[in-house]
Formats: sequence, structure tokens, C-alpha cells
Amino acid sequence: MNSRKLFAIVRRELGAYLSSPLGYIVMFVYFLIGGFFFWLITTRSHAASMTYIFQNFMFIFLLVSPLITMRLWSEEEKNGTAELLKTSPLTIWEIVVGKYLGACSFFLVMSSVTLVYLAFIFALGNPDVMPLFANYLGYFLGVMAFFSIGLFASTITENQIVSAIVSFFVLLLLWVIGVAGDGVSGPAGDFLKYVSIMSHTDDFFKGIIDFSHVFYLLSLIFLGLFLSVKVLESKRS
Amino acid sequence: MIEVKDLTKTYGTIAAIDKINFTVPKGSILGLLGPNGAGKTTTMRILTTSLAPTSGKATVAGFDVVTSPQEVRKRIGYLPEVPPIYSEMTIISYLKFVADIKEVPLDKKANRIGEVLEMLDLEKMSRRLIGHLSLGYRQRVGLAQALLHDPEVLILDEPTRGLDPKQILEIRKLIKALSGQRTIILSTHILPEVSSTCDDVIIIDQGKVVAADSVENLSQRLAGGKTLDLEIKGPASEVSKALENVTGVAAVKSLGRESKGVSRFELTTDGTSEVREALFHCVVKNKWVLYQLSPVGVSLEDVFLKLTTKDTTA
Repeated sequence: MNSRKLFAIVRRELGAYLSSPLGYIVMFVYFLIGGFFFWLITTRSHAASMTYIFQNFMFIFLLVSPLITMRLWSEEEKNGTAELLKTSPLTIWEIVVGKYLGACSFFLVMSSVTLVYLAFIFALGNPDVMPLFANYLGYFLGVMAFFSIGLFASTITENQIVSAIVSFFVLLLLWVIGVAGDGVSGPAGDFLKYVSIMSHTDDFFKGIIDFSHVFYLLSLIFLGLFLSVKVLESKRS
Repeated sequence: MIEVKDLTKTYGTIAAIDKINFTVPKGSILGLLGPNGAGKTTTMRILTTSLAPTSGKATVAGFDVVTSPQEVRKRIGYLPEVPPIYSEMTIISYLKFVADIKEVPLDKKANRIGEVLEMLDLEKMSRRLIGHLSLGYRQRVGLAQALLHDPEVLILDEPTRGLDPKQILEIRKLIKALSGQRTIILSTHILPEVSSTCDDVIIIDQGKVVAADSVENLSQRLAGGKTLDLEIKGPASEVSKALENVTGVAAVKSLGRESKGVSRFELTTDGTSEVREALFHCVVKNKWVLYQLSPVGVSLEDVFLKLTTKDTTA
């Protein structure tokens, strides 16, 4: 992978988010609801941790990440700019990873607001650093897994609305499947719980870094990217 | 430079293009002509590696489009049907992005962008958002993108679409000027564009090549003998009779009186010898006055329609 080309795609993608109304609406909603949750949770629990906050943020991102990822490939296809990318000396992996990292860097920009929450926690409480690190790792990996699924949903259609709906339902399925797993006993229940994203992020939010969870989330991210590459490859024939 | 052999692309049972063959020598301009849906864009998309052919072979600059697409991509500039532009970017930031993904050397990047902006007269607009530009400017930004990495081969899908007449002339001039070092394929349905810019022309209809030749040959071949348009001042019936007796003239058709004493004739020659000199002498000998003598070429329009229109009465 050529870093100059990859970086060019990442930068363009981030620029597209930061110059579209959608990017700012998503950020506004996230700041507003995030701030409300932070206030609500910390004033009730008096806990100097991000545990409950990130758990709630995961739910916000279940709704918001399809809106962020829906444009990733659909828009290129619709505007005809896909032709430029496909006929430039780029590999499909460079295109897919570049776009994915572009969306992730927009997420990073959005998440910079949590530094304000951190500042409050450190100013008013005495938190442990390691659990906070675990909280952040789980939050980032979880949302990145959402984005990877969303990117895949975007490659299969040139209609952004369809792309958003598909990724929303896949994410929702991966969410409720864990709840269903709680109600089923035996290996079937264990399997359902294993597939659910939430069962793999919860430990992080409790402050535990378990590498089986890291492995699951990284695998899920890779799967989304791999399927996106395969879809784009198949469009050539 | 570009070789296409038995190229076929089928969608299900429908063939978008069916065993197309042609070659484009280095430095020449090929016009791809055909009604909508004939397979022009499909052909171009295969040559630019954006679409894989079902069967057949195509090489661009010596590289196969299927087996070494990256090498082909480095050597082509492609303007698709819809210019591939991002409306939220300024022209300059867009060209910087294109320079990065098309491997324009970093030390030449700024220079090259400047050159292309100048070539397409976009300097004044370079800080404007592409989304705010008119159709003509967008098309030019699309062309700038295709030229940026100084490719050997240019593939332009309707390059003058959306431009006003003045801009069309400018772009045609630019394409002509570029052809020296580059090999160019352009598609169009504007026929004068082919006759004014291209060296060779291929007419495609329903996925098949129906004619391939140089622009002049094609119009001549289909015309049979030559037709001349004449205006002569003199008694119409006598003139007509005299013209018929000139050697080489196959038929004379009187087109009636043009103005006082001047009559128009359409002359068909047998195509074997030059008759214009003999016609001139004939007029002088009879002390008539020659107002006009001009050859009527069969236009590309006629050729095009003849080749692509099905005879429904047959």
C-alpha cells in the first residue's frame, strides 16, 4: 500500500465530512446527546469513570454510524467519481482502507469532545487510568467495527438511503442477537452471545482488556473491509 | 499504441459490444462514432480498465488491460461521460488530490497543476468550489484531471459535452494540439467534431463496427462519383445541353434560376477524371459567366445515417 495515495484518500474523505452539512449535523447531535448523557450519568452515579457513558455512546453510534458510512462508496458511484478511482493506479485495498480510515478519522474528530469529559473527571475526581484506557479502546474498536460494516453496506448500492438502512439493520441484528442469547440456554445461546458486538465491548467498559474481545473486533473490522474489497472487485466484471 | 482484438462484452445474453477490432497508431486521433447505446462507452470503459471484457483482448501502450491494469492506468488519462469531480472541493484541492493518486512526482506537482490550469484557462477559478461552477467549467476540470499526469494515451468520452460553441472550438484546438505526442480516442455524436479533429473514424452500431477508415476516405467511398454545384449566367437550356457534352460528366440536373439570368445546376461526374477544368473552358468558350463551381462532399452525417439506419422498407 502506497502511503501517499492512501493518505490522499483519507484526507479527501475527512475533508468531505468536514465540508458537508451531514457531518456537522451528526457532530451536533452527538455533542448534544453525549453532553446530556455525561451530565445525567455523572451527577447521578458520582463515579469518576466513562463506563456508563461509553455504553450509552455505543447505542448512539448504532443509530449514527449508518449516517456516517452510507456515503462512503454509494456517493462515488452516484456522482461518477468511482470511475476516477477505478481508473487511477490505485489498488482496491488502497481505496477501501483509505475510505475506511477517512471515516475513522472523522470519528476521531468527533470523539475529541470526550476530552472535555475527561478533563471534568480528572478535575473533580480521582480516576484510575488503566480502566479509562480500556474504556477508550473498547469504544474505538466497537465504533470502528460499526464503520466497517457500514462501509460494506455502502459498496453494495449506489443509493445512500438503502446503504444506511442495510447497515442499521445489520448493526441492530448484531445488537439484539446478544439479548436473544441471554434467553436461550446451552451452546446455541453461547453462540448468539458470541456473535453479538455488545458482548465483546462490555468488558472493555468495565475496565478489562481481554484479547479474545480485541481479536473478535479486529476480525469483524477485517471481515467488513474484505467483503467491501470483494464487492468492488466483482463490479469490474 | 492501442490494439483491440475481438473485444466482446455481454450482459446476460445481450452483447453490448460484439467482436470489435481496431488499432490506433501512436500520435493519432481516433473518433468513435455511434448512436446512443451503440457501445462507445463500454469500449472506453474496458480500455480504461474500469470494466472487464467478457472475451477478446485489448492492449493499451503495450499492456493488457486485464492482466496488467495498473500499468495501463499509469499511462492513460480518462474523461468519463460524467466528469468525475467532487463538488465540495476547490479546483486546486481537487487537482492536488488527483496528482497524489495518479503518481505525479512530488517535485513536479505544483508546476504540473499550474500548467494544466493554464492550458484549460482555469487559473482564475482555481479557488472556487467545483459545485459552484457551470457545466462548461466542470467539463474542463474533468479534462484537467485527465491531462494532469501527462499520459501517453487520452480516452475522452464526449469531451465537448456541455460546452458553448466558443469553448467547443477551444477544446477541439487543444485536443488537436495534444495529439502530437499522444494517442487519443474520443467518442462523440457531434459529427463535425470527428471531421474537424480526428484522423480516423470508427462507426459503431449495436455493438458492431460498421465502418472504419480515415475521415476523407469514408465520405468519399460512400459518395460514389463526385457531385458538383454550379451557377452559370447564360440561357439555361443551352448551358445544360453544353454541360452534358463535357467529357466525364454523367448527369446534369437543373436546379432552376438563382437570380436574373443565373441558373443553378447539379452535376454528377463518373468519378474517373477531373472535369472542373473542362467545365470552365466550356463556359468561357460560350461566353457565359461562371458564378460558382464547388464540389459537394457527402457529409459524415449522410454516411452515419446510411450505416446506422435500418432500411425498413426492405
